[in-house]
Amino acid sequence: MSLGTQGHGTAAGLVTPATIFVVLTLLVPLALLFRYSLNAFVPGQFMVDALTLENYVKFFTDPFYTAVLWRTFRIALLVTVICLFVGFPLAYVLARTRSRYKNLLLIGVVLPLFVGNAVRAAGWMVAFGAKGVVNASLMGLGVIATPLDIMFTETAVIIGITAVNLPFMVLSLQSVIEGIDRSVEEAAFNLGAPPWRMIGRVLVPLAAPGIVAGCILTFILGMNAYATPVLIGGPRFQTMGPLVYGQFVEQNNWPFGGAIAFILMTATLLLTMASSLLLRRRRVAD
Amino acid sequence: MARLELSGLSKTYGAVTTVRDVSLDVPDGEFLVLLGPSGCGKTTTLRMVAGFVDPSAGRVTLGGEDITHRPPWRRNTGMVFQNYALFPHMSVAENVAFGLEMRKVPKPEREQRALAALGLVRLSQYAARLPRQLSGGQQQRVALARALAIRPDVLLLDEPLSNLDAKLREEVRVEIRQLQKQLGLTAVMVTHDQEEALTMADRLVVMAEGAIRQVGSQQDLYERPADRFVAGFVGRSTFLQGRVAEPGVFQTEGGLRLACDPAARSGPAVMAVRPEAIHLHPGAEDNSLSGTVEFTSYLGPVLELHVRLSPTERVVLHMPNRGGTPAAGLGESVTIGWPRAAGMVFSEAA
Repeated sequence: MSLGTQGHGTAAGLVTPATIFVVLTLLVPLALLFRYSLNAFVPGQFMVDALTLENYVKFFTDPFYTAVLWRTFRIALLVTVICLFVGFPLAYVLARTRSRYKNLLLIGVVLPLFVGNAVRAAGWMVAFGAKGVVNASLMGLGVIATPLDIMFTETAVIIGITAVNLPFMVLSLQSVIEGIDRSVEEAAFNLGAPPWRMIGRVLVPLAAPGIVAGCILTFILGMNAYATPVLIGGPRFQTMGPLVYGQFVEQNNWPFGGAIAFILMTATLLLTMASSLLLRRRRVAD
Repeated sequence: MARLELSGLSKTYGAVTTVRDVSLDVPDGEFLVLLGPSGCGKTTTLRMVAGFVDPSAGRVTLGGEDITHRPPWRRNTGMVFQNYALFPHMSVAENVAFGLEMRKVPKPEREQRALAALGLVRLSQYAARLPRQLSGGQQQRVALARALAIRPDVLLLDEPLSNLDAKLREEVRVEIRQLQKQLGLTAVMVTHDQEEALTMADRLVVMAEGAIRQVGSQQDLYERPADRFVAGFVGRSTFLQGRVAEPGVFQTEGGLRLACDPAARSGPAVMAVRPEAIHLHPGAEDNSLSGTVEFTSYLGPVLELHVRLSPTERVVLHMPNRGGTPAAGLGESVTIGWPRAAGMVFSEAA
C-alpha cells in the first residue's frame, strides 16, 4: 500500500496531528500574545484591557530599546557571516572526503549541539572568566597585571552564538555541496579556471540554495538567541530574547513583553525575507 | 595542436600502483585510444595528462613543454567527461564561452567563438538554453564544443559515449571523429568498449593492471595480439590450454594434437583461435577434428556453433549465414578445423 495513493482521507489523517499540535502550541499563544501587546499596563494593576499601540511606540521612541534591537541584529548578522566563511571550507571538505571516517567527522561537527548552553557557558567561565584558567595563567606569568575582559563582552557573545550555530550552517552547506558533481569542478579547472575563479563562478552559484538556507537558519537562531547572551553576556548585556523574558518574568509587564516579542518576530521575518528575495533576484540577473 | 609524449609515467597510492611505467608518443593530429577493462589504469593515465592526478614518476610533455607538475588550469587541454559535466546554472553559450572567459578573451570575440564552436556540433540554435533542456547526446556535443572552443593542444575524452544509448552513441562517435580529423586535433580517448575503440582510433593502446600490453593498429591487435590477454580482450577467441610438445605441434590438455607455428617455443602454452577462422569442412592442410554440436545461436550475419572436441574442450565457431537450412544442427557430429596459422600460440613458461 502506498500512502500517497489513498486519496484525501489518508492525507488529512496524516497531517492532522501535527497541525493540531502547531495550532495549540504556537498559533493560539501567539494570537493571545498579540492581543495582549495591544493592552495597557498600569503598575499595580497588571494588565488593563485596551486597544492601543502605546507599547510599540514606547519601544521605538526609547533609545535604550532601539539600541537593543540594533545590537541583536548586528550580532545575528556578524554570526551569520562568520558561520558562512568558517563553515563553507569545512562543509566542502566534509562533502568531498572519501575517508571512511566521514561519519565520525560529521558527528564531530554536530558535537557542539550535544553540549547544552548552560554547560558550555559554565565551561567558558572556568576558562575565560576573570579568575579563569587563561587569566590566572597570564597573570601568574606576569604577562598582564589585571585580568582581561573576555567574558561578558559582545565579542564573547558573538563567539558563543557562532559556536552554537556553526553546525547548522555546515550541515546545510554540506548536503548541497555533496549534490554538486565533482567533475563540474574539474571541467572548470580544465577550461582554465584557477581555484578561486572556479569557486566564484561554479561552486558558490551551485551551492546557493545551501548558502541561503544556512544563512537564514543561522540568522534566525542568532536573532532569537537567549541562553548564550544571558550566560556569556552577563546580566547587563541586553539582546532581544532576554529582554522579552525580563518583561514577562521580572517586570510582569505582559503587554510590553508581547510587543517586544512581536517586534523581534517581525524584524526577523522581514530581514530574512528581504535577504532571500535579494539573493534570488541576483541569481536571476546573473 | 601538438604532440603529446608520456615517458615512464607511474602513479602509486600507498602500496597500490595503478599506473606502471607508461610511455607513449602521440604525434600531432593522431587519435589514440586507451582500451582496457575497468581498473586497468587508463583513466588515471588520462587524468595525469589533464593534471587532475599528480604522477608519482615520469614525465608528460605537450608540444615540447614539460607539463608534468603544472596545475590543470595552466595546461591547454580540452577534456570531455563521461557525464558531460556541463555547468547546470549557465546557458549553453555561457558553457562554451567559459574557457574563453577564463582566458580573458573580450566579450564580443568570446561570443562569436562560442557560437562558432556550437556551429561545429550543429547546436547553434540552442545557445540560449540551459543544459538540462537538452538530450544526453546534445549535452555531450555541447561539452565537445566547450572543449574545442579553447583550441586545446590535445583533446581528452574520458568514456565520452558511455552514458548515451546505442543509437546516439553511433551519432556522437561519428561527430567526434569527423571534427577531430577536420580540425587536425591530437586526441586521446579512454574506453572499455572495444567496438568504440576499433571504429574510432588511428592507433590503440591496450592496458591491463596499470601497464601497457600492446600498442598498434586495429589489425595488429586483432591478427597479431601480443599476449593471451589482448587475444581475449580484443575480439573473441577460444582458448585451448596445453603445451608445445615438439616444434610445430601443440598438444592440448584434452589430448588433441594440433599443428601450430613451428617457431613457437616448446613448453606450457595456450592456443587462441578466432571463431571465424574455424571452418566446418576443413581443407587438407588444416587441423582437422571431429566433435559434437552442443549449442547454436543465430546472430544474423553469422551462425554461432559451440562444438565439443573432448570432455574438457569446446570451441566456438562462426559460420557465415547463407540462408536456408543450417549446415549443422544440435547434437550432430561434425568435422571442423582451422589453418595452422590461425592457431595463435602464447607461451606460458615462467
